[in-house]
Amino acid sequence: MNYTTSRISALREALRKTLGQPVAFVLVVGSTAGVLATLALGSLALWRAQPIEAPQWMRPQALVLAAGAAGEVDLAATQAALRKVATVASADFVGRDAALAELAQRKTLSALGLADLRPNPLPDAFLVGFAAGAAPAAVEVAVAELRKVKNVDSVEYQPDLYRRMSLLSQLTERLALLLGASLVACLVIGVALAAAYWVRVDRDEARVLHLLGAEPAVMRRPYVYAGALSLLTAAALAWWVVAAASAWLEPAIAELARQYSLHWAPDPLPPWAGALCCLGSALVGAALASAAARLAARFS
Amino acid sequence: MLTVERVEKRYGEFRPALVGVDLAIGRGEFLLIQGPAGSGKSVLLRLLAGLEAPSKGTIRIAGEDLARMRPRALAHLRRSLGILPPGDSLLHRRSVVENVALAAWVAGAAVEEGVRRARAALDLVGLDVERYGSAPCAQLASGQRQCVALARALVNRPVLLLLDDLVAPLDEASAARVLQVLDHFSEAGVSVIAAVRTDATGVPTGAPWPARSRTLRLLDGRVAG
Repeated sequence: MNYTTSRISALREALRKTLGQPVAFVLVVGSTAGVLATLALGSLALWRAQPIEAPQWMRPQALVLAAGAAGEVDLAATQAALRKVATVASADFVGRDAALAELAQRKTLSALGLADLRPNPLPDAFLVGFAAGAAPAAVEVAVAELRKVKNVDSVEYQPDLYRRMSLLSQLTERLALLLGASLVACLVIGVALAAAYWVRVDRDEARVLHLLGAEPAVMRRPYVYAGALSLLTAAALAWWVVAAASAWLEPAIAELARQYSLHWAPDPLPPWAGALCCLGSALVGAALASAAARLAARFS
Repeated sequence: MLTVERVEKRYGEFRPALVGVDLAIGRGEFLLIQGPAGSGKSVLLRLLAGLEAPSKGTIRIAGEDLARMRPRALAHLRRSLGILPPGDSLLHRRSVVENVALAAWVAGAAVEEGVRRARAALDLVGLDVERYGSAPCAQLASGQRQCVALARALVNRPVLLLLDDLVAPLDEASAARVLQVLDHFSEAGVSVIAAVRTDATGVPTGAPWPARSRTLRLLDGRVAG
């Protein structure tokens, strides 16, 4: 043992503490890397999906059918009135002739002779889109308002569908938050416990050093270095996992995003991000280990 | 050098470990704190070393009130003291020289300087450095371990020695040699405070203590004479 007050000695001690117990070190680094990689992949997915907007198919929509006697002037006024209703984001006019032509083009319906129908039985309509993220209750109130607008014959809206989707969306958000918070808590507790474990293992030495007048900061230094070293290694490992997982999952996620009309920007990771992640992790590891060593010294 | 005024130490609601202790010791004085087991000798030494704070009263070393010192300053103070705690306070897996040199290293000595001073201190207390120097402390007898602990207390040339239960683990010859060394230290200006247990008849164990030593008797945490 070459215990001195120098930082080199503290680093040597930190290496002895970490590498001297390889099983504990691998467990701490492996589990920490797993948590870090999960958090990093989640954050990366969020970053690539920016700006996060609900796609058209997820937004609540209502089909507003206009009264048969409405003229062009009335339809324009109706459209303006629909747009003024709260939570309504858009009101697109769908003319009866255009609707019939579109129906007639569909292979499954063309055999019915829709194109030959005279006169056109379809009404003029408006496709009303509501604001993304609007509460289902607010949308239902808005639908009731739409029904009161002049020249509106009827409104087709499926409240149950949007309520279910809204609930599912809320649940997913909360589960993601819960998972993220749990992972961060696991990370903090895991690193702090590892540091406290090292202190407990060396408690006789710590007691003697205290007796001999070693400064508290000097006594904590090897544990601080060990914490920084562990998280630095874990961050490097996690970064490698993130890079490998990204390369593997990227094509599938990009295709999925395209299919569901979701925004996805497969930007490559900036080269400094890895270094920043490792540096940040090392600082967090040092801070956690310092706090744990302080607490463990107080209670030992 | 060191003054203790109306010091009291309580642990919870139990009987106080120390009550109303007054004490003053000057440079080069040799003080024996005598008392039976549980009389408060070790508690008093821990308070003097700044390892615990008194519940009441003040302890001053070189004019500094220990209760007002910050942890860093207390650590600095302990580096200038030689402390021998009761029982075994060595690191058993470390070698004899490393255990002694540790105190010098903590005080800022270079590695080689610490080892050199450790060897000199071990030689002073009569332990064969060539034979035992590199042996782990776990392999030593209790008397030899006590010598190593004393060498560690002496290695930084302290201004004040706080020795608890010094001679109990030593044989007669070793005890006589160690007390002679301490007497020389005291003559050279080092203040020595040694706690020694008395037997059922009130006679201190371990002898002969230096004739120039002063005695403070403790009984149930109070000064009895």
